Amino acid sequence: MMKVFLPALLLVCVALSFDVRAEDLPADAGIEALPADGKTEDLPGGQCLQCHLTAGDEVAELWQDDVHARAGIGCETCHGGDPEQADSDLAKRRGTGYQGELSPREIASSCGGCHADVEYMKVRKPLLPVDQLDKYWTSKHGKLLAEGETRVAQCASCHGAHGVREVNDAKSPVYAVNVPATCGHCHADADYMSDFDIKTDQYDDYVQSVHGKALLEKNDVRGAPACNDCHGNHGAAPPSIDAITNICGTCHSYNAELFLGSPLAPAFKEKSLADCVACHSQHLITHTSEEWVGDKPGATCRKCHEDGEEGSELALYFVDTFGSVRQSFGEIEELLAEAENKGMDVTEGEDYAEAARQSLMQARTLIHSFSRSVVEEKVMEISENQAAALEFGYASLNAFEDRRRGLIVSSLLLLLLTIGVAIKIRTLPPLD
Amino acid sequence: MSTSPENPDRALLAWAKDRYPIGKFVEWAKHKTVPIGPGAFWYYFGGISLFLFLIQVGTGILLMFYYKGSADTAFESVRFISAKVPFGWLIRSVHAWSANLMILSVFIHMFSVFFLRAYRKPRELTWLSGIALLALLLGFGFSGYLLPWNELAFFATKVGTDIIGVIPYIGDPIMYVLRGGEEVTGSTLPRFFALHVALFPALLTGLIVAHLFFIQMQGIHEPEAWKEHPEQRKTMPFFPHFFMRELMLWLITLDILAVLAVFFPAELGIEADPFSSAPAGIKPEWYFLSTFEFLKYMPAHVGPMEGEEFGLLLISTGFLLWCLVPWIDRGRNPRVTKIVMAAGVAILVFLTFMTYLGHSA
Repeated sequence: MMKVFLPALLLVCVALSFDVRAEDLPADAGIEALPADGKTEDLPGGQCLQCHLTAGDEVAELWQDDVHARAGIGCETCHGGDPEQADSDLAKRRGTGYQGELSPREIASSCGGCHADVEYMKVRKPLLPVDQLDKYWTSKHGKLLAEGETRVAQCASCHGAHGVREVNDAKSPVYAVNVPATCGHCHADADYMSDFDIKTDQYDDYVQSVHGKALLEKNDVRGAPACNDCHGNHGAAPPSIDAITNICGTCHSYNAELFLGSPLAPAFKEKSLADCVACHSQHLITHTSEEWVGDKPGATCRKCHEDGEEGSELALYFVDTFGSVRQSFGEIEELLAEAENKGMDVTEGEDYAEAARQSLMQARTLIHSFSRSVVEEKVMEISENQAAALEFGYASLNAFEDRRRGLIVSSLLLLLLTIGVAIKIRTLPPLD
Repeated sequence: MSTSPENPDRALLAWAKDRYPIGKFVEWAKHKTVPIGPGAFWYYFGGISLFLFLIQVGTGILLMFYYKGSADTAFESVRFISAKVPFGWLIRSVHAWSANLMILSVFIHMFSVFFLRAYRKPRELTWLSGIALLALLLGFGFSGYLLPWNELAFFATKVGTDIIGVIPYIGDPIMYVLRGGEEVTGSTLPRFFALHVALFPALLTGLIVAHLFFIQMQGIHEPEAWKEHPEQRKTMPFFPHFFMRELMLWLITLDILAVLAVFFPAELGIEADPFSSAPAGIKPEWYFLSTFEFLKYMPAHVGPMEGEEFGLLLISTGFLLWCLVPWIDRGRNPRVTKIVMAAGVAILVFLTFMTYLGHSA
């Protein structure tokens, strides 16, 4: 419990002021970046940094890599105090604006003091959004914080306090690959979450999901979603049922479009089923298979459709059709491999097979239309390409047989010619 | 002499005889003989090499009807030849196989000449022109291998031209000219194509004419024992006795080519992509494997030289000595002859062993 929150509080316990406004900062703060080598003596922080370094404080160490430090923003910007004073008491004396530990709410306001200021940010980091604070207050975290619940996440909980790194820095806790662990730090902690009445299996489920494997095992930071891609980052909240299709549809747009146009969309709405999640689950999203949509007990479709129902019949059609298509692929592969082993060029056949495979992928997507006629049209395309591949395979084997026959004929002719020459040699006058 | 309208063949011959000294050629051909000694069988490999060269010319011309020698089109044009052009697969496969068999046949021819000591005076220039022919054929093989523009050929060419670049001083400029830049790219292909179908054929034709001219001028080498025992001397007329036997071997060679083309047709693989990484196990053609393998065993440095530089120096020295064999072994000192023959055996074993190692690596 408090695993995240306490370290965050510790990190900010040196905070000396709160509610920093951009207009309180020096005009050039953050504009002149420090030299690339970023030696300690070049970092902003003045005497604050010197003392905390001497004392071996972790915050001073973390400060070395902080984006704010490298942008020339000193300790006093957030914490007040007088960084020119070597004496601790003088640096924190009354009138310097020095503040002690920042409360979670003060942290949000302090960060937002600059990051929500359009004028300030547009000259320093023009591409960085400035709506984080606004979004935060709409998030579950923000709302609870506003209600006085201090154990919820605020800026420092996820970004760190004194070692803040760019989001695309692989060492940042909010770098895509690190996000699941950062969120899971609290959300997978049953003790910590016990007072919030939230399940804590999301992280474990996500890790086993197709998304989790793609992100964490294949490092697909551009393609695979982390927690924030579905839940939002600063405005993080559990998505409503109505939002599910839009969220999944951000990436799987065609599937979403097909589903929303299908007869299942209104039916799901009527039964308050969460569109995509109703079949695919939420955090534990795994690869689908023909069996998965089948009509056998335990299959997804059987959650709602009884045996013999129209929906069950459609599921059966999908399973049978795709099963038979898969079988044909096996036959094609075997045939083309045989022809290739005999030295035939089977590229054209492989092109047909690849086209059929592409069509199969599209047909699997078209399942989301839950329309037999739509899928049938694509299955026809698959069948045509598979038939062409098979025809090519058999034609290649026949061509090989033709070659063999041609070889036998030409070899016989050459043999006859050779015998003719041998006979001619024997009829030549004998050598001396 | 008058022409006879009753017999067109004779009429044509008579017409030609009226204008050209055909009679002299016929007389020469009638009297041309070939010695029948213990190594007579090996004499046929010169003719087999020539036959395979003629097949190369014929199939090469047919391939050029469809081949498009640029990086954008080469691979597809070769695929088109193999898959769509009637008997294109056969022409391409025969071209590829006869190239390999020709180089093998020339190697056999060269080593048979060596072990029969046919390089000695007065045949020094025949020996040298033969070595130049082999070198040119290796150039043919190297340039032709890239033409399908597939992945294996692309990276083998990269490795091959890298080796050329190791030669001190002249290696880099040669490599640059061959590649058409620092790297093997689409610019390399038209250069190799031009070498393969224009420069090399012209040089080869000239060299073959010179090689045959030398042979006709001096006759085929006779066994040395005949000098001491002239009574053992035995010959056969070139026409028709030797020619008919040669023809028989040509027919057998043609059948072997047909079998190889049907059961092991030339593969195409996947198209070259200059931006992809080299696949594992890239090897040059078998006739470069021994050199490739030998260089692989070189240490990083030998004295002040790079290991590969040193390896190339050894190979170049060996090649130079091989060229100078007629002057090293003049047949005056049996000990020198023994050493030279032993060196020949060692070279043959070395090349075979290194090729085997390279093949099984």
